[in-house]
Amino acid sequence: MKITGYRSEIYLMKMDRAVGDANLPEGVDLMPASILYLETDANITGISLGWFGGGAVKTLFQAIENADPREAVGLWIRMNDWVHKAGNEGEANYALSAIDVALWDLKAKLADEPVWRTLGAREGRVKAYASGLDYCLSDEELFAFYRRMAEQGVDSGKLKVGLDLQADLRRLEIMRDALSIASPRPQLMVDANEYWSPKQAVRYIRQIEEKFDLAWVEEPARRWDYAGLRLVSQQIAAAVATAENINSVADVYPLIANQAVDVLNVSALHSGVTGCRQIAHLANLYELPVSMMNCQANFMAQIAAALPNHTMMEVVDPGREHCLKFDSRIEDGYIVLSEAPGFGIEIDEAKLAQLKANPPTGRGRFPFPRRAGAGRYPVPPAPGEVPWRRGR
Amino acid sequence: MKITSVAATAFREERGRSRASCLVELQTDQGLVGIAVGPHSVGARLEQTVHELLLGEDPRGVTGLWRRMIGARSKVGDTVLAAEVIAALDIALWDLKAKANDEPLWKTLGGSRPRVNVHAGGCDRAASDDAVCEWFLTMARGFGFRGGLLEVGTDAVADLRRLEMMQRALSERSAEPALMIDAGGRWSPKEAVRRMREIESRFDLTWVEQPAARRDFLGLKRVSDGVRSAVCAGEGIESLLPHLHHHALDIVQVGTATRGITGALQLADAAFGFELPVALSDSPGNIHAHLGSVMPYCVSMEVVDPEPAAGVLSSDVRIEDGWAIAGDRAGHGLTIDRHALAKAAT
Repeated sequence: MKITGYRSEIYLMKMDRAVGDANLPEGVDLMPASILYLETDANITGISLGWFGGGAVKTLFQAIENADPREAVGLWIRMNDWVHKAGNEGEANYALSAIDVALWDLKAKLADEPVWRTLGAREGRVKAYASGLDYCLSDEELFAFYRRMAEQGVDSGKLKVGLDLQADLRRLEIMRDALSIASPRPQLMVDANEYWSPKQAVRYIRQIEEKFDLAWVEEPARRWDYAGLRLVSQQIAAAVATAENINSVADVYPLIANQAVDVLNVSALHSGVTGCRQIAHLANLYELPVSMMNCQANFMAQIAAALPNHTMMEVVDPGREHCLKFDSRIEDGYIVLSEAPGFGIEIDEAKLAQLKANPPTGRGRFPFPRRAGAGRYPVPPAPGEVPWRRGR
Repeated sequence: MKITSVAATAFREERGRSRASCLVELQTDQGLVGIAVGPHSVGARLEQTVHELLLGEDPRGVTGLWRRMIGARSKVGDTVLAAEVIAALDIALWDLKAKANDEPLWKTLGGSRPRVNVHAGGCDRAASDDAVCEWFLTMARGFGFRGGLLEVGTDAVADLRRLEMMQRALSERSAEPALMIDAGGRWSPKEAVRRMREIESRFDLTWVEQPAARRDFLGLKRVSDGVRSAVCAGEGIESLLPHLHHHALDIVQVGTATRGITGALQLADAAFGFELPVALSDSPGNIHAHLGSVMPYCVSMEVVDPEPAAGVLSSDVRIEDGWAIAGDRAGHGLTIDRHALAKAAT
């Protein structure tokens, strides 16, 4: 059993709805995406979804060519050593992450079982929370999104905040109201995407906490600012969640060791399945929970199911699966995974070819920028910038 | 695949450190049997644990089952005993998971073929000077060991003398043998600093194991701050959170006797996050060699029985030129000689 080659598809998709946060409140509906296919001599192909940038895979492939994909962890160590000097950063991190995910897909397919079982999970079931990436949604759309999630049993929600306290308070109430059919006391989270300085965060959150009980506040300060994140955590009642924009257990270490984080957001970009699990294991030593980030077809729920300290996974569901076939579903507030081998995802090559032949048009900004005023002073949405702030 | 029953057989064998032991056999509806060797005491609580928590479960869900057992720990009695029971069952479950894939455990774990650096342990304080010499000579000449671990801590003069014997024996295979000592928590922290300073004036030690009581993370930190050698501990400590958070250790000792394989893998990943090397402890049949290949910072594995190919258990981990190399037998590679077991059963 050997890895013989790879190919990749890079395409632009138009989501069924726009997504936006404090840095990009007007939102985007175009998203670049890629699929990495790892080919083997056994005629089984490993798949990885997301975004790997395209550049570094060719270089890193040399580290795994002709290797047995079942040795995924050994190959992770080899790739991590391969990129030593420049580091497991940027494009190299995208490529390493994508390859590792495809290796685990292969490993599970070769054992003819889903990835969650390969990783030793007892069941393919993960608690979900709803996340609208919703700064670009009108109040009505906001309600509709969380209500649709609540109808599937989801009892927790995370709102994008940070630019306009009064609007955020109103919209938190809307989210809570929408979720209240799933639970008399929905769990509420907010996410500022690093828009604040630490003290801005404390002032803002304290005001929210006068009215709402928040389970966590995500990225209330910059990703690497462990002193600032710790300060925020010490001065608010809610947990501080962070780590989504860092890449590996090495980067997570200063946050954990300095008690700057209460919940760790992890994803495939945390150096793949292997890297994600390393972070969860370090967090577990500190009795900290991890939370899997949203992704296409919720495929990373396969990993979340097997982590010893996973709390709940982010579900956005903006419609990013037009060229994917999969059979996971949300039931009673849980992502329920099937027995299909690997990640249980197949590519609809015909639809993908159509999409590539006719690239969609819409609103896109990639990479995501940082909004003016971030970390200094709030710049609320201008009239007309978001649907809930009408033009004059 | 479902777990259908468990059998425990207590036996006594004078090999390595495994004297009074208990063989655990976890049976499934597909005829595959997962095995583990635990301390003599695990037999008593085994059946109850399996009946309450594992019966009818798919052994491939081992990390989930490990969590289930940890979560139910209070049900099955005192924690030390429970930890050993859970550990033995976890090892048997991983054996089954690998056997279900018809592959060696190292591959199921995702490792590349393990070639784990080893050091020779197994010489306790009761051994005579002659026995110390002979033991390390055998390990160096027969198996290529380039490192050795000596138990110390009750007789400072004898410790120095015996360290020199170990060094001389291991010098047959290496110009710079790795010298380690295990104080077994017999020193107070300041006593450790004094003894270590004296030893270090004559020997360059790779590490010292348990120079203070293993729970005393403040004492271990104090020793680490006061000596050149790396301070190593981990075995028998339920949570290493205080030790790691307070930088009390320079090398994290990882074993499966109380953590199982699942807990050992978790600890090794956490140590990797701390940029701390891990040392694998001694194991029946040296099966820890399988784990070495998925631990990026594994420095060495302790071996007290370099030829576990005879007696009740045989293993396909072989020790060669100072390395442990795991074979291709499905599972962790331990197999049972039924005839020998019948004779050794207690």
